[in-house]
Amino acid sequence: MVQYNFKKITVVPTGKDFIDIILSRTQRQTPTVVHKGYAISRLRQFYMRKVKYTQQNFHEKLSTIIDEFPRLDDIHPFYGDLLHVLYNKDHYKLALGQINTARNLIGKISKDYVKLLKYGDSLYRCKTLKVAALGRMCTVIKRVSPSLAYLEQVRQHMARLPSIDPNTRTILICGYPNVGKSSFINKITRADVDVQPYAFTTKSLFVGHTDFKYLRYQVIDTPGILDRPFEDRNIIEMCSITALAHLRAAILFFLDISGSCGYSIAQQAALFHSIKSLFMNKPLIIVCNKTDLQPFENLSEEDMKLVMEMKEEAMKTVIGQGGEATDEEGVLLKMSTLTEDGVIAVKNAACERLLNQRVELKMKSKKINDCLNRFHVAMPKPRDDKERPACIPEAVLEARAKEAAEKEKRKLEKDLENENGGAGVYSASLKKHYILANEEWKEDIMPEIFDGHNVFDFVDPDILQRLEELEQEEGLRQEEEADDEDMDGEELTPEEREALAEIRRKKSLLIQQHRIKKSTAESRPTVPRKFDKDKKFTTERMGRQLSALGLDPSLAIDRARGRSLSRKGRKRERSLARAGSDADDAMDMDVDQPSSKKLRMRSRSRSRSRPPGEVVPGQGFKDSAQKVKAIKLVRKSQKVRNKDARRGDADRTIPTLKPKHLFSGKRSLGKTSRR
Amino acid sequence: PQGDYIELHRKRHGYRLDHHERKRKRDAREVHKRSAMAQKALGIKGKMFAKKRYAEKALMKKTLAMHEESSTRRKVEDEAHEGAVPAYLLDREATTRAKVLSNTVKQKRKEKAGKWDVPLPRVRPVAEDEMFKVLRSGKRKTKQWKRMVTKVTFVGPSFTRKPPKYERFIRPSGLRFTKAHVTHPELKCTFNLEIIGVKKNPNGPTYTSLGVITKGTIIEVNVSELGLVTPAGKVVWGKYAQVTNNPENDGCINAVLLV
Repeated sequence: MVQYNFKKITVVPTGKDFIDIILSRTQRQTPTVVHKGYAISRLRQFYMRKVKYTQQNFHEKLSTIIDEFPRLDDIHPFYGDLLHVLYNKDHYKLALGQINTARNLIGKISKDYVKLLKYGDSLYRCKTLKVAALGRMCTVIKRVSPSLAYLEQVRQHMARLPSIDPNTRTILICGYPNVGKSSFINKITRADVDVQPYAFTTKSLFVGHTDFKYLRYQVIDTPGILDRPFEDRNIIEMCSITALAHLRAAILFFLDISGSCGYSIAQQAALFHSIKSLFMNKPLIIVCNKTDLQPFENLSEEDMKLVMEMKEEAMKTVIGQGGEATDEEGVLLKMSTLTEDGVIAVKNAACERLLNQRVELKMKSKKINDCLNRFHVAMPKPRDDKERPACIPEAVLEARAKEAAEKEKRKLEKDLENENGGAGVYSASLKKHYILANEEWKEDIMPEIFDGHNVFDFVDPDILQRLEELEQEEGLRQEEEADDEDMDGEELTPEEREALAEIRRKKSLLIQQHRIKKSTAESRPTVPRKFDKDKKFTTERMGRQLSALGLDPSLAIDRARGRSLSRKGRKRERSLARAGSDADDAMDMDVDQPSSKKLRMRSRSRSRSRPPGEVVPGQGFKDSAQKVKAIKLVRKSQKVRNKDARRGDADRTIPTLKPKHLFSGKRSLGKTSRR
Repeated sequence: PQGDYIELHRKRHGYRLDHHERKRKRDAREVHKRSAMAQKALGIKGKMFAKKRYAEKALMKKTLAMHEESSTRRKVEDEAHEGAVPAYLLDREATTRAKVLSNTVKQKRKEKAGKWDVPLPRVRPVAEDEMFKVLRSGKRKTKQWKRMVTKVTFVGPSFTRKPPKYERFIRPSGLRFTKAHVTHPELKCTFNLEIIGVKKNPNGPTYTSLGVITKGTIIEVNVSELGLVTPAGKVVWGKYAQVTNNPENDGCINAVLLV
């Protein structure tokens, strides 16, 4: 199925833009430099190339325009007619024809001037010939620019046409303006058509899709038609007439029985009879809309007679298709889009009728025989006369019955509102369904501010529960405190009591210190511990404190010192230590065993460090002077290599001495007199 | 989206809250952007923009001047009439001194000066080496008696070449034209008319006989399209016109009708 999608047509530029585009492209894509002294053949070739290139570009662009716009005779007659109605077939064809002639003219111009260029004997002559050729091509386009503007407008409008597939299942909605066609399509499909109280709100065709029995139907909303002679119809009405004429669809003729659209039933019936010729061979359903304003039974005699006449006509189409004569219900339906009463029924009826008709047609056609022998519906053969209906459990049946009853019984808020005067008059009481402990509290007004606080800040649904929990906690804590005090008073010995007091004092001291530090942390920078100049945290202090507590600090001190930074670099000692430990106990690797070598108790003091300039003899030099000389030689060679940006003696790479990006290229703005 | 979805959305949801503000600011910025573009654009783009902008500015200035001019009363300047004479010379009889020359002398003078009573009275003379290109012929390409015309020519419809061995002047078919764009000087409109023949080429009679058309050549064109009628009632179908451009440079012959 071909999808008619007119959105893919490329933009048609205006005349001026067209010329600018092509000429600037020629200027960019062909060589630009030519001198008087070149060989004459080279000059000719240069200019001939420009002329030909321009012609090719024009040809290309004009051809895309001509090819992409649809030919009104090659597309489906529905679209052909629709485009004729909207854009006037003659004007459209003329415009495209003009573009075609322009294309041919440009071809001719190019040919002539290339021929003339062969006789050019000087640069000036070739140049003027090229200028004349390009100028003439541009004049051709300038003359055609109104057509280009028209085609651009057509393209823009065409892109917004609805993509209707003329061959698939379609439901067409027609009727007078303001009868409720757009509301209906909004209800059954996802199309969002504007619904307004004035006539001709819908000014063009709109498409929506809906499903029925696992098949997709397209629903087409048309603008309203007035009862006028055919010649007097305007473009908007002609759109709907075109749709009615060319699409094989189920037709829903909408009738506004309340007359709120501004037209009486007589007028609508007149319209029906004037366009009933368009309903040939199409399943027709007459839909009476707006039954909420005017129930169908309360129609006057004449109106009822008119409606029955229309129904007769519709019945004829049913009979014509070979349907049952008794199928009255499928022809005249009542609904109201406002209350959504009967909307689904209408849709189902329309879809059903259309499906039946299409299936019938397909059965009659010859192609069906190819399909018929390919599928086969297997029904199980009954083995006896026993009836075996579907098995539905009792509970489900009861539930269904109850639901149905409830649905009928339950009164919706909306109904209540409608009864009491409508949307503006009645305001629903939202507090009706509140669930509260005391029924009388429903109508109470809740305060918003109390004692200067927002009440809602303190509202909590679980507030009573939380209160209980809090009280429990309070109770527990009080018990604990009571326990503590008991413990304090009775079970401690005097020494223990002293120790406790001591610990508490220390703790309060620490807390005080911490508080001071915290308060001054913003004004003073926090120095990390490794730089503490006060040297408060030394192993001696730790030893003192531990001994004050009665513990032996020596092991702890050793351990702390063993892990200090100054000892980190000593690989040999550590390995020896490990070897020692291996001998003793393979598992205890972490413990520092006392090794044969004496471990340093403290970090090195200054006495054994060296002044900065002193060179120690060693490493194969017999004295300091020789070593100094060697060092000087090394430094000298290093300096030379460093200046060359070489990493070492073996570095032989040669960097780019003349990087291209610094020595070539034009500047976009300015001169290149400096590099 | 179908139909007028943009307008529909606008109707339903209105504009963005900052839409008008943004639009106003964007439009205000356009001026600066345009000026930046005008200053920075280089090359052909810059030139084209400058030209367009110049035209716009000229138009703007004109409209401004038009708005500014007020309907005030101004003093009317009295132009002096031709032959107006001050009051103290009124009584004298004016005598004119004129040399009476005979007609032939006048004509001869004109011919010598190379001026005729046509729209282009004088044209630049075309040298022979500009007009002809020397073609070498013969087995050893030493013979140089053939010439090829490098300008646009007109040959009649009944033209047949001389046998190639004997033709001295070659008029290439690519440079042969049959139609000219003729402008009527009073009606100011141009017609594409057929050439009947070359009447006179100002560069010399040889060129006239060859049918070479250069600037200033008088050609005869078929004006039956214009529907001119003589006072006697006969239909005029041929008229002279003078060529106003260099056809070999433009690829077309533009001429002005001599009424």
